[in-house]
Amino acid sequence: MKGLKNFIFLFAMIFVLAACSNDDSTEPVNEPAKESTESSTAGDSNKPTSEKAQELVIAVNENFISMDPHNTGDTNSNSVQAAMMEGLLGFDAEGQIIKVLAEDYTISEDTMTYIFKLKQGVTFHDGEAFNAEAVKTNIERITNDSSLRLYSRGFSLVNGVEILGEYEIKVTLSEPYGPMVTRFAVAKMMSPKIIKESIEDIPKNPVGTGPYKFGKWVQGDYLEIERFDEYWGGGDRVDKVTFKPVPENGSRVAMLKTGEAHAIYPVPAQNQAELSNTKDVKVNSVPSTIARYVSLNTFSKPLDDIRVRQAFNYAVDKDAFLKVVNSGLGVPLDSIIPSKTLYYKQQQVYNQDIEKGKALLAEAGYPDGLEIEIWGNTNSDTMKGMQFIQQQLKQIGVTVIIKSMEEATLSDEIYGAQTPEEAKLKMWYVSWSSYASDVTNATKPLFHSESFPPNSANTAYYNNPETDKMMDEANSISDEARKTELYANLQDTIYKDAPWIFLGVDEILYGVRSNVSGVIVNPTGGLDVANAKIN
Amino acid sequence: MLKYIVKRIVEMIPILIVVSILTFLFIHLIPGDPARLVAGKDATLEEVENVRKSLGLDKPIIMQYFSYMKNLVSGELGTSLTTGLPVIDMFKTRFMPSIYLTFLSMFWATILGLLIGIFSAINKNKWPDYLGMVTAVSGISLPGFWLGLILIQIFSVTFGILPTGGLNGFSSYILPSITLGAGIMSMIARFTRSSMLETMQSDYIRTGRAKGLKERTVIVQHALRNSLISVVTVAGLQFGFLLGGSVVVETVFSFPGMGRLLIDSISFRDYPVIQSALLLFAFEFILVNLIVDILYTKLNPKIQLQS
Repeated sequence: MKGLKNFIFLFAMIFVLAACSNDDSTEPVNEPAKESTESSTAGDSNKPTSEKAQELVIAVNENFISMDPHNTGDTNSNSVQAAMMEGLLGFDAEGQIIKVLAEDYTISEDTMTYIFKLKQGVTFHDGEAFNAEAVKTNIERITNDSSLRLYSRGFSLVNGVEILGEYEIKVTLSEPYGPMVTRFAVAKMMSPKIIKESIEDIPKNPVGTGPYKFGKWVQGDYLEIERFDEYWGGGDRVDKVTFKPVPENGSRVAMLKTGEAHAIYPVPAQNQAELSNTKDVKVNSVPSTIARYVSLNTFSKPLDDIRVRQAFNYAVDKDAFLKVVNSGLGVPLDSIIPSKTLYYKQQQVYNQDIEKGKALLAEAGYPDGLEIEIWGNTNSDTMKGMQFIQQQLKQIGVTVIIKSMEEATLSDEIYGAQTPEEAKLKMWYVSWSSYASDVTNATKPLFHSESFPPNSANTAYYNNPETDKMMDEANSISDEARKTELYANLQDTIYKDAPWIFLGVDEILYGVRSNVSGVIVNPTGGLDVANAKIN
Repeated sequence: MLKYIVKRIVEMIPILIVVSILTFLFIHLIPGDPARLVAGKDATLEEVENVRKSLGLDKPIIMQYFSYMKNLVSGELGTSLTTGLPVIDMFKTRFMPSIYLTFLSMFWATILGLLIGIFSAINKNKWPDYLGMVTAVSGISLPGFWLGLILIQIFSVTFGILPTGGLNGFSSYILPSITLGAGIMSMIARFTRSSMLETMQSDYIRTGRAKGLKERTVIVQHALRNSLISVVTVAGLQFGFLLGGSVVVETVFSFPGMGRLLIDSISFRDYPVIQSALLLFAFEFILVNLIVDILYTKLNPKIQLQS
């Protein structure tokens, strides 16, 4: 008896002790700088519920990784940052470039000199003034630190930042770089004070010029931002937005239904119909810039033969792909880039034609078909996609062996090959997304001969001096007409060469409660809450 | 007793060192390149190498190990490769919720499991026994994933009385702890039952009854107490596992615990986070074992702790 009593007592004691100290120990690590005058965050263990009209809750599918805008690769972190910080340039709802903190800008003919005239009367959340000096501090932070993501994406080419006036600044590059405009839209401006004085706080407590300022961040639980009343752009919006990472699809959907979340991103395709029929809930869809394809190793047998690659393309029914694998969402990929991407030119889709596929295969010397491996990650959608390809290629006599690997292992297998000869990869079921305004990133890493793994992502080992030249030229000129022509040629040539099985372009689904307005998702999957309101 | 505890704690040190070496080796041996994962899939080789250098991953493994241990001894867990935040900060917000969830789940699972086990044993092959065992088998068989979603559907969506997930006061612990505790309760119930049945066959139970002890005294003071040894062993093991966080429950309820942090960091090959988390789990596990050993002596004074 005593033993049992002790046992229960011990448990009870520990639990009570634990429960008593609950509040202190779950205290978030990342709170805003103490000078913040509003006390709304203090001891606020009651997080927003839907009843409180001006607090918006958004559930997203993944954890936020970092709040350092110069070192971010994941979409969700970017979304939160975009509400707090702005770049000289930015993106509109279609993903195209607009001016934000720049009043105006000019690009030299050789695309190596950028002059920005800055907006006046803009202040950072900590009261620091936004001017050319602040821009210089930001750009120099990126160019001086090679470990930052943005450094390697264009800013390593910056070789001069010159202040021309209090609100005018000149940035020069050492060589032409087409997507630099997009990089200026991605590079958010932070208060020079935080860069100079507390650089280690940036990943957890950034200070920008945006419509919201940082509230608090409890790792793995939620991240809160608050309206910045002195926002230069004015406008009306909710007082507070709370982002919650909810990786489980079913739980995220339940949150939208119960009203615990005002918006969820993304809505799993299989829940679209169910949610559309739910009272007070809307499901919206946005065409994305996410291209789905199977890259075919054009360097090695049997895929070095264009007829085999085309046969594979003819074997696959793209509409069935969208229906079976993408729950009926999206459109066929009818070029090497999605239709939202700048300079897109539609191509004649390889419509399913089994006889033609068989004939091409026989012509290439495989009348009895062949056996080939396809690689992909362990994600259930990827598995579904690979099984679909397996079933489709079976029709032309091709036996596909599915090999799914955990993401990091897969990446090692692919990028571990130092030369095309070493590559064991035959087919890879994968997707690619880039900013709609950044056609360079949508083409060069995938099709340029300099981009073979491990250098970059040309996993088709596509090697064509002619298209290399087109990409190089398009990347170094500002003449729009010529660029359009070059990219049109590029798309024609590569689509015909079929270094991929072209599958589809995803559609992004997100759900909002019907009393919410101004929550927008852009083609890259970024959330825009700048004008979010609860009615 | 005190001497024994001190000795056991001192003995932890070499174990933890061995654990640290093994985990360090294993996580560096598994395929996957954190530098490439951090740099992103559109990164060029040069960019990947830049990242590798800035993360200190270009140094020999042995050097990396020693610099890690050096930091550890001075109380530094290092910086996460993916978030750039101190590992300790990432643990801070997740460690305690995991602990509370574990205690709450163990608390109700143990009490209910014991009760079901005892009632089943004393009503062997009668309907309370069948009912108890049906409950227990269901608890073990229901996948946590499914149970969690069903509970959300019932209590959050239909009745709207409990939150679907997140962490917002005590109510956020209820559904996850039911999901997490169901399997453990069942296991404890089954162990208690079989252990009780075995004990009830013992001579001293017959003696007790023969000398006219009340049935209640026989069961609670003699049979149960002796049966508890094996139950404590099982409960202790489960407890140790739970402290490491539960990926399934944390995912379904978007609960900010250690399990998901570990899984996320494994998929990103975030070495410092994996390393520190595994070390922490090893420490917790050893600690729980020590507590179980001490409990043995309380339950059965014949068991002596050798110091």
